[in-house]
Amino acid sequence: MRPAQDNQGSFLGRISIRRNQFTDVNTEQEQEDLELFQKHIADRFTELLSPPPQPPSDETDSVASVAATEQIMSVTWLRKLMDVFLCCEAEFKAILLMGRDPTQISKPPFDRLVPEMLDRSIKALDICTAVVNGIDSVRHYQRLAEIAVAALEQRPLGDGNVRRAKRALANLLIALSLEDKENVTGGNKAIERSWSFGRRGGGSSAASKGGATIGQLKSSSWAVGRNWSAAKQIHAMTTNLTPPRGNEAAGLPLPMFIMSTVTVFVMWVLTAAVPCQERAGLANHLPVPKHLNWAQSLVGIHEKIGDEWKKKEKKGSAGLMEEMTRMEKLGHSLIEFADGFHYPAEKEAAESAAAQVAEMAEICRRMEEELVPLQQQIREVFHRIVRSRAEILEVLEQAGKLSAPVV
Amino acid sequence: MEKNDDKDPDHNDQSKGEEKGDVVSNTHPPDESDGKENVDVGNAETEQDPGDNVDSQGEEIQQTLESLSEELDQLLSSLSLHKEEHKDDTEEKGEADADYFQIPQFVGKFLDLLEDKLSKYDSGDPKTVWYQDQEEVSSLLEAVDRVSKLMGLLLNTKSCLDHHEPLINHAGSIQQRAMAFLEDEFRLLLEESVIKETTLATDDQQDHQNDAVVSQDQDQVTVQESGDQEIEYPGYSEEMVVLLRKIAEKMKAGGYGWECREVYLVGRRNILMRTLKHDCEFEKVSIDEVQKMSWGELEREIPIWTKTFKDCSSRFFPGELKLAEKIFPGDDGSLFCIITHGLTIQFLGFAEAVAMTKRSTEKLFKILDIYETLRDSFPSMEELFPEDLRSELRNEVTSARSRLGETAIHIFSDLENSIKSDSSKTPVPGGAVHPLTRYTMNYLKYSCEYKDTLEQVFKSHSKMEQEEEGTNSSACSAFASQLMRIMDLLDGNMEAKSKLYKDIPLSCIFMMNNGRYIVQKIKGSAEIHEVMGDTWCRKRSSELRNYHKSYQRETWGKLLGFLGHEGLMHNGKIVKPNLKERFKSFNATFDEIHKTQTTWVINDEQLQSELRVSITAVMIPAYRAFMARFGQYLDPGRQTEKYVKYQPEDIEDLIDELFEGNTSSSSAATAKRRT
Repeated sequence: MRPAQDNQGSFLGRISIRRNQFTDVNTEQEQEDLELFQKHIADRFTELLSPPPQPPSDETDSVASVAATEQIMSVTWLRKLMDVFLCCEAEFKAILLMGRDPTQISKPPFDRLVPEMLDRSIKALDICTAVVNGIDSVRHYQRLAEIAVAALEQRPLGDGNVRRAKRALANLLIALSLEDKENVTGGNKAIERSWSFGRRGGGSSAASKGGATIGQLKSSSWAVGRNWSAAKQIHAMTTNLTPPRGNEAAGLPLPMFIMSTVTVFVMWVLTAAVPCQERAGLANHLPVPKHLNWAQSLVGIHEKIGDEWKKKEKKGSAGLMEEMTRMEKLGHSLIEFADGFHYPAEKEAAESAAAQVAEMAEICRRMEEELVPLQQQIREVFHRIVRSRAEILEVLEQAGKLSAPVV
Repeated sequence: MEKNDDKDPDHNDQSKGEEKGDVVSNTHPPDESDGKENVDVGNAETEQDPGDNVDSQGEEIQQTLESLSEELDQLLSSLSLHKEEHKDDTEEKGEADADYFQIPQFVGKFLDLLEDKLSKYDSGDPKTVWYQDQEEVSSLLEAVDRVSKLMGLLLNTKSCLDHHEPLINHAGSIQQRAMAFLEDEFRLLLEESVIKETTLATDDQQDHQNDAVVSQDQDQVTVQESGDQEIEYPGYSEEMVVLLRKIAEKMKAGGYGWECREVYLVGRRNILMRTLKHDCEFEKVSIDEVQKMSWGELEREIPIWTKTFKDCSSRFFPGELKLAEKIFPGDDGSLFCIITHGLTIQFLGFAEAVAMTKRSTEKLFKILDIYETLRDSFPSMEELFPEDLRSELRNEVTSARSRLGETAIHIFSDLENSIKSDSSKTPVPGGAVHPLTRYTMNYLKYSCEYKDTLEQVFKSHSKMEQEEEGTNSSACSAFASQLMRIMDLLDGNMEAKSKLYKDIPLSCIFMMNNGRYIVQKIKGSAEIHEVMGDTWCRKRSSELRNYHKSYQRETWGKLLGFLGHEGLMHNGKIVKPNLKERFKSFNATFDEIHKTQTTWVINDEQLQSELRVSITAVMIPAYRAFMARFGQYLDPGRQTEKYVKYQPEDIEDLIDELFEGNTSSSSAATAKRRT
């Protein structure tokens, strides 16, 4: 009934068993563990940066879509990233807590490092919530795109279908471009804008023009809190995040630094990937140490995404999720197709549109398959962070009791 | 699902079909023999001209959607029959002519009329609010329905695809326009009817207030108001719900169900958030923000959260589910989930956030409020979700409750620690009840108002204790033993503190004060009394009696010593100097006792009078006897006045002044005597 707790109980049990042995833990062993941890981090992110070649796909999947699946920022890739995070986290926690004298992590410099790390984890929790909400928005885009796909798949393709598709696509593109900027700061502006396409506002028949009308989700329905800003939180997570120096560089402070960096990085990626509250200046806020071995690939991924973000930021983008970016591109060109459409359809245009529709359909299918699992993984990350935080506090509590002066 | 309804996989080669259609209509004149007046509508309507219609249909100028409906229905049924008959023909492509189906011209006219109607609505003429006119509603919706049926049949009948594609295009175009219109209307109705409702609600309240002032018929007012409250959410009239359902039905039937659902989702989500803000003052708060809030701020947020969660469980969520079921029958809760799932997660995030805040004892009760809200209101909320989400949410709630429960338990161990570590070295003046006792007892008394919840919390969320004292906890509940432990710690602490008094009697008074306070608190609250039990109380009371006895012995035993007979008589004679000495010592000692012990404090009135009574009971008879026996040996007048400072009544009065906590009573004894 309480699986989480049982785990925790036994985990703490193990600690208390091994607590007596802590004096035996030699530093050599610890060094080995640390090196292994760094190696694993490096390996995992290298794999994320350049995925291993796929086994030859069966005929149903086109080559293009397989490549896209594994691409950085695709839903599949984001799901892998979540797995990587969970693995790193588990390994880190083992290093931090297992077989360690609890008083050790309550002494300087840990009396500063641990609370800082816990504070970062709190901020990460909010980002998880924001991203889960953001994925709800993505599912909204997905449904709009599905409408367009359904309309454009109709045969014979007539004016009605095309207008129907255009209407859905217009809604989709407005959502994609406004979600970030206006929906948060001036929430209503976005809605008013899309409402002005509406029948009564304009007076003329927008319905026949295929204007966007569905309306947007108000910021309040997916925001995390009144003045919450993803960019500011990411920034705050990095403020006291500096690589350990001197003596500290060889010991426990290092994995703490690495794990914090990984956490910030993962949160940063998620924030950039899907619609998220207030992200202005997101690209600036991630000082990743370039010279460290374990960080090479992470830096590589960061640079790739950062460049992409800078490009998109000016335009205002809902997110860099690969599927969304493609969806936006396809949306624009399909709207173009719709604008130029005259019944009966011109063969060539119709064929190229059909290919785009098929691609859009494929994106929707992928989203349908993977968005919910991604959401669940992020919830899992959320709960993992909550649990780890509690476990660390528990250990500190013990340390407090052990070192408390006897009255 | 419905997006594929009108997609016929057999006919997706559109460009080919279209060419063929043209060819067929041009090269098969023989078919005209079937109906003299019927032209291929495909051609007729592409070059349609209102003038033509007037000419060719002479006396039927007044054709309306209604008048054409019957004919169209007949056509639809024969078309459907035709489709059935030629269902198998599709594979034998050769016999193109045999399955040709003639589409009469009035179909084009029907579409034109529908388009006219839509244009009229679109022109924004404020007088034509179509949905307020039942006839308009059914006229429009039925027409839309017929177009959808027509489209469905045309698209699914091979011969029609082959021969009537321009007509299909035209009909599809009108259908799209009608659907877009319905979609807009659906959104507006969804939004507007609610807006009306909220303004109505506030109007109502104002009206009621006025009524109340004028008629003073308050009963009726409140009845009305609560009646309104019941049906308030989501706040659509029955007719409106029916209309929305009809629109949704028609859109779905025409393959436009997705648009309708999306509009509904966006609309309802916004409305729900607006309602929560308006009715419950609920606004989302981030976990980080919760950590940074002062307790004062957070203390205000928690009742808002609790109310919101309860209202969602009892009103808003069931209202959403019902509404979705009414408007989209057979939806099975999927719309409801999209509308509420994220919000539910957010709610639970807040609970986790509070559990994560820096612990302090004052937070216990609000944390338990959240715990109880989740425990009591979640089950009915959970019921609303379909099975798969239900278990997911249940896990989330279990996690949040564990976190809250663990925090509550930690708070108790913090309380333990704070008692253990309270080592203040300054004794409370006068031996009064120690602030720590007061604090602890009030805290425990208050926490026992949450007794059942705490029992549950300790039972299900304590980890270490359970393992360590597995056998112990079966005897009495975990919470009770926690309480006992705190009591014992408090006792221990007080005993240590009593040692700070140099005066043994005063430390007895201190112990009595604190012990009495504890017992009174426990007896005063049924809940805590139940936990601690009668045995415990009896034990405490007997301990108190012991302190009482040793106080009596320490203070008054010595004084009584002066009233003994030994040493006063020598060979049957009174030794006067000794007697004088006795009186002097008695007086001085009594004065000293009076002087110090009037500054001592006994807060409990009953204890105070018990003590005084018991002192009087010991002292007065002894003093009277002593006076009666020896008073006579002093010379009356000056000598008596000098040595017999107090009459027994005076002693009694002075005893009654003890334990008042007077700090300026040094001269009280003398002052008292004179009055």
